[in-house]
Amino acid sequence: MSAVVSLERVRKTYGEVTALDHVSLDFPRGRFVAVMGPSGSGKTTLLQCAAGLEPPDSGQVLIGGADVTRLSETKRTELRRKHIGFVFQSYNLLPTVSIEDNITLPLRLAGRRPDRAWLDELVGRMGLRERLRHRPAELSGGQQQRAAIVRALVARPDVVFADEPTGALDLRNAIRVLDVLRGLVDELGQTVVMVTHDPAAAARAHDTLVMADGKVIDTLAAPTADELAVRLAHLAAEPVA
Amino acid sequence: MIRLSLALAKVGGLFVVFAAVLGGMALVTGAGVLVDSAFRAQPPLRLAGADVVVSARQSIPRKEDLPVALPERARLPLSLVATVSGVPGVAHAVGDLSFPAAALSGTAGRTGDPATAGHGWSSLAMSGRITAGRAPRTPDEIAVSGGKVGQRLQVMAAGRSGTYRVTAVVDAPGVYFTDAVAVTLADRAGGAVDLVAVRAAAGVDPGALAQKVAGRLGAGPTGGYEVSTGRDRADAESPGAAASRGLLLILPGSIGGISLMVVGFVVGGGLALSVNRQRRDLALIRAAGATPRQVRRIVTVQAVAAALPAALPGAALGYLLAARFGDLLTGVGLLRADQSLAYGPLPAVAATLLLLGVVRVAAWAAALRISRMPVIAGLPEPRTPSKVRTNAGLLIMLASLVLATLPLFVRTESAAVGPATSAILAVIGLALAGPWLIQQLTGALARSRLMARAPGPIWLAVNNSHGYALRTAGAVAALGMTLTLGLSVALTQTTIATAQSAQAAEGMRGLVTITAHELGGIPHDLLTDVRATTKATAVTMTTVATEPLLLGDDPGLMSRPAMALGPDAEGLIDLDIAAGSLARLTGDAVAVDEKAGRVGEHLDVIMGDGAKVRARVVATYRRGLGFGPIVVSRDLASAHTTTGLDSAILARPADVADLGALARRPGITLASTPDGPQHAATSAQSLVNFAVLAVLMGYVLVAVANRLVATTTARREEFAGLRRTGAAPRQLRRMVRWEALLVGAGASVAGLALCAVPLGLLGIGFLGRPLPAGPLWLAPVSVAGVMLIVCLAMEVPARKIIH
Repeated sequence: MSAVVSLERVRKTYGEVTALDHVSLDFPRGRFVAVMGPSGSGKTTLLQCAAGLEPPDSGQVLIGGADVTRLSETKRTELRRKHIGFVFQSYNLLPTVSIEDNITLPLRLAGRRPDRAWLDELVGRMGLRERLRHRPAELSGGQQQRAAIVRALVARPDVVFADEPTGALDLRNAIRVLDVLRGLVDELGQTVVMVTHDPAAAARAHDTLVMADGKVIDTLAAPTADELAVRLAHLAAEPVA
Repeated sequence: MIRLSLALAKVGGLFVVFAAVLGGMALVTGAGVLVDSAFRAQPPLRLAGADVVVSARQSIPRKEDLPVALPERARLPLSLVATVSGVPGVAHAVGDLSFPAAALSGTAGRTGDPATAGHGWSSLAMSGRITAGRAPRTPDEIAVSGGKVGQRLQVMAAGRSGTYRVTAVVDAPGVYFTDAVAVTLADRAGGAVDLVAVRAAAGVDPGALAQKVAGRLGAGPTGGYEVSTGRDRADAESPGAAASRGLLLILPGSIGGISLMVVGFVVGGGLALSVNRQRRDLALIRAAGATPRQVRRIVTVQAVAAALPAALPGAALGYLLAARFGDLLTGVGLLRADQSLAYGPLPAVAATLLLLGVVRVAAWAAALRISRMPVIAGLPEPRTPSKVRTNAGLLIMLASLVLATLPLFVRTESAAVGPATSAILAVIGLALAGPWLIQQLTGALARSRLMARAPGPIWLAVNNSHGYALRTAGAVAALGMTLTLGLSVALTQTTIATAQSAQAAEGMRGLVTITAHELGGIPHDLLTDVRATTKATAVTMTTVATEPLLLGDDPGLMSRPAMALGPDAEGLIDLDIAAGSLARLTGDAVAVDEKAGRVGEHLDVIMGDGAKVRARVVATYRRGLGFGPIVVSRDLASAHTTTGLDSAILARPADVADLGALARRPGITLASTPDGPQHAATSAQSLVNFAVLAVLMGYVLVAVANRLVATTTARREEFAGLRRTGAAPRQLRRMVRWEALLVGAGASVAGLALCAVPLGLLGIGFLGRPLPAGPLWLAPVSVAGVMLIVCLAMEVPARKIIH
């Protein structure tokens, strides 16, 4: 299995705090990977570095074989547009334009025409066909997050990074969004990396990375929610030096 | 509560309020200094030794309005001197005379205005002391403030040239003749004086003495005489100064309205911005149990806190501004050089109170909507403009169009009110209906086929302008306001001035104007000398007051400058006579604009010295714009002017060189391109208007730029979101540039459109073409300026936050 995104000895600090401490990691194609860990363990920084949003202090980040740390901001943006999709906790939809315009925005910015069949497939899969002409505010949180997922996928990226995608949703909508993400991987062969602190959400992934103090301390294959909850509870209880 | 308010405050928005109040304080304080000066300024006093001065009444009171000033000296009977001398407590009373006097050779020292520099020797008892020599005794002896005793001086006195010997040097300005010569020169053989100057006996209070004198003379609010003490003595001395101080009241009055409106706009805009930035926090506070009233109080406290620190530096700026403005007024001759401004604390205090009032109202209005919103979690939606607001705005814009037709019916300077008021109304309408208009226009643009294929940044720019219509419209309305107000006020002035001078030039084609300002007026023999060479007529400029003559005149008594002509003007100056003839302009006769009366009618005229005359209308004419709506006969005017001299000679020489010898006489000025009689006043007035306008527009532009910087800086989150969605920094910068272009284009189109109709109609009414008079390059230059400011104010901060 080839790696879509690789990190090699990546280090990132914010002042005195070391968010990533020489992390080396491969995200394999076609897998749904969850990243867990207590607050401040560096999971969001890991996602931002892996996605090329934040340049690391040292080390390499390879996206589609290219080292993003050596690229200019514009080149990095173009690389991200091509290879990476994003889903955020707060959806990040433009409030002033329709769902359809929101979904096609990345293509517009890249100067590409949308692939109608692909768009139609995604919209149908997410149950948004009736909602395309609406403004984001006219949709429920779950619908908005599914629209954000369509937007992340519309450019056929190699990998989708999701930062707490269910964090702002109720249980029913959270389950629906997780099902959608899992379906993308299982049925369409997508790669998804999701940061979450919810063991139930992480349990829907194939693998779970557990982070603490800027390091990946554990990789669990298909853990149950209970196993994850116990593992996290331990981390919270024993302060790591 | 105050601490909470300040803790919540966001510096960016409140800085805009601070800056707006700073500029507003400067403008209002500056205007205030002018008003204050009108009441308090102390012109130099010639008769400093007099405790009480008796003069004729130099103004006509009006109901609920400023009195009409009478700038020509009204005289007092000579018998008054004796009457006043008999009042107990009077040590000494002198009848004072003033008449034109100027040295043609050598120097006479300080003389002040040559039109009133000559006096009788007895006046010196009240104005100064002899420093060398002895009093003049014979008709050819004089005393002056400069020069040497024994020196011979060529002096033009009351239009008659003569050689005089200086027998005394005195420490008071002016030229002093023997009393007998003064009476002859001033043509007072019949017995009349200008003023009675009174010195009180030792230990007598001037105020008490003034009351006694007034009682003896039957003076008082309704009487025929004024009895002045203290600083009022200076006004009694020079009625012209009192009239020119009236201007100090009128000027800030006319600009004050616009200034306060503009300040209100700018402060309101800044507060709206500040409130918008705190929407989330204010919603939280509401959710935590704050009442709408408390939310409004929070916003008010913040606004006042931002406004107060601006008060002191703003007031300081205002005093500087007033000083510059005073220089300008003096420079163009609207303010006498000896008339200094008064710098008291009152204007600053008044401006502070006024501005705090504006800030409080603006804060209340800005907080009204958010304070009443139902308590809901999360960020409120982008606001949609309310229907009432939109409809009111559209109606007001429509009303402005109706007002704009005024110049089609009124052909006097008063017509300027049409475009100016129309512009103000249009701007208010734009501010109200702007968001809806922007929403419709950008919406249509966003939905158009053009946008379907547009590159991302342009598409985003259009959609942002559409989605945040209120934000966009705020900038568009403010910038459109500067364009509309600036262009319509400036071009209205030039259009009316052009029409006036065009008419005047037609009426005075081929004429040469001879003036003698340095001599206080045209010498008596000059007209005869000019006539020896060519056909010529004398013109006297004076001031007359009448009931309203034309549509648009002051509804009560209206005073205005008027030209006085004699029958010899017939065939020289062409007023485009509609009926009658200038040849009949003798005795109590006037000619009027054909729209103001008919030949054979009688017209009540109050002359510049207050004399009431029932005059016959002997001619009507069509060039009222260039020559004013009323022309009086020279016979009538000469008896009612301060100097008794003509103001100018109009001659039609075959060749200007024929007048060469005359032009070389000292104090004589020749102009071969005659301006209309209205010209000087109009151009000075328009220069002042331009200056005021420039300051005002500068203020608005800085304020708008300031606000754009603040709104752009506040978009950090939005930009970050777009970056994560895949927008490159270059694309965001392009997006912001396009948004700036949209704002600039919107402001330009709105600004030009709103002033195009009034100015077009003004052009049709005054110039016979649907274009105002130039400089028309003002329009493209203003548009370019607005564009530049918008682009800079949006792109520079955007570059900073897009890394």
